[in-house]
Amino acid sequence: MSLAESHAEAAALPAPTRDLEQGLRDIRDYGLAIVPDVLKGDTLKRTREALYRAAEADRARGREQKFALDYAHDETNQRVWNVLSRDPVFEDLAFHRLAVENVKAVLGWPALLGNISANITGPGGGEMVLHADQIFVPEPWSAEPQGLNVAWCLDDFTEANGATRFVPGSHRLNRAPRPEDSAAATVAMEAPAGAAVVFESRLWHKTGVNTTADQRRAGVFAWYTRPIYRTQENWFLSLRPEIRQFATEEMLVLLGYKTQGLGLVNGASPA
Amino acid sequence: MTLADTVAEVDTAAAKAQLRREGFAIIPGVLGAAACADVRRRLWRAAEESERRGAPTRNIGIDPNEHNVRVFGLLELDPVFVELIQHPLGIELVTSLLGPGFLISNFTANIALPGSQSMHPHSDQSIVVPEPWLQPWSINIIWCLTDVHADNGATLYLPMSHQIGWAKDVPADPRAGMRPFEAPAGSIIAMDGRLWHTSGANVTRDEERALLFGYYSRDFIRPQTNWNATLSPATIASLSPQMHAWLGLGPTANINLAAPLAIPRPAGQGTAP
Repeated sequence: MSLAESHAEAAALPAPTRDLEQGLRDIRDYGLAIVPDVLKGDTLKRTREALYRAAEADRARGREQKFALDYAHDETNQRVWNVLSRDPVFEDLAFHRLAVENVKAVLGWPALLGNISANITGPGGGEMVLHADQIFVPEPWSAEPQGLNVAWCLDDFTEANGATRFVPGSHRLNRAPRPEDSAAATVAMEAPAGAAVVFESRLWHKTGVNTTADQRRAGVFAWYTRPIYRTQENWFLSLRPEIRQFATEEMLVLLGYKTQGLGLVNGASPA
Repeated sequence: MTLADTVAEVDTAAAKAQLRREGFAIIPGVLGAAACADVRRRLWRAAEESERRGAPTRNIGIDPNEHNVRVFGLLELDPVFVELIQHPLGIELVTSLLGPGFLISNFTANIALPGSQSMHPHSDQSIVVPEPWLQPWSINIIWCLTDVHADNGATLYLPMSHQIGWAKDVPADPRAGMRPFEAPAGSIIAMDGRLWHTSGANVTRDEERALLFGYYSRDFIRPQTNWNATLSPATIASLSPQMHAWLGLGPTANINLAAPLAIPRPAGQGTAP
């Protein structure tokens, strides 16, 4: 299938849906599903405040870290790594029922939480390098997606404020973008604050350009993989102890403490 | 150190070519007789120490009966194993097959005592990663601490099966056509992660067959052992920066392939972790 054909088949965003089965069909057909109104009212407000507080603290303390897929000259956009250890509200995102249900359906179980970090665009912020999240897996890729990204929109995601952009149909090409694909037509993942955008690991995407004069837009990206890959974040070094201490069985699986075959201690699960 | 009488003069070029072509290579004489006996003595001591610390070595769910002794945590139990897992010849063979981006996935011992039986045939890669299996993503470096032959439980392998890329091409009975890896004590056997194999049964009356399995995999794959949770602070502190990297003890993983896609940075600016 050529990119042009795949683009023609799925030129638009799927309609937002709260229905899991419809969302899974959307992930299959469009590479992504938009789930509206997951975070609401005070929950959304508290989560948003916690993220901006962490971002502000990092900036004030000179702890910002760049990412290899961001453009180096960009001083506006900001990443906040490992938000899981920054505030308990992010546990409610990483282990949210919606996220776990999608992970189980798309990746199977057990699965791992690879990373959960935030990406905040600012006025004049530039875009990111086009990529697919499973690019660390050598090609040819197997037939199924190896990971899933759940993007939590803590502000409205709009074309103007740098919503994540994706190449429609690219998940069906089952390969990473090449340099000649960098100009492929992209569509903004527009979604209201409080929505989750669930997209599979083969979908080509990038941060959009923020053309506004005064808007920041924050997204928290929770990244899950099949249990055979290393997590991007080494939870055994960086996890806040209380998370492990009070974790449910499901959380222990996602963090690699309850495991089979891989990640063992003396041939057995660490917990 | 105990490996002082290691025998040199190995034709590594031939071994690497055979490993590529046939999915394995046997290199005799890597450990001299004295070193071999010493490592074997330390292995039994490590097995006892493992039991004493509460980590069982028998009937752990991999083997059909209690006649196999499996020792985990070798790196924690005796420095000689730290030396063996980073033996230059082993690392050279690993690098030739996987490239420089690999991790130490596991290092265990399997001592087959008389009466031990065979496990299910498998390739190490096929039971972990989805097909296709077109490239080697893992390798075993097997240290023979005793002579290994068909009757004492030599590993059985299916010749050329490292070329099986798809599940549909796996023979219905992989055991048919399998042959034993026969090698004298002190040899290493390098085995491509795609080669189909099984442990052999030890049908001798009184022979012990002791093997160490150094298992290495590409660095995007989760290691079989969680080294951060396995190794003591004292052991971690004693290891070189190179060993820290090979054990994947650091804070991040699976972001290095992002580098080739990134836009070059102005001089003086580092790359992200």
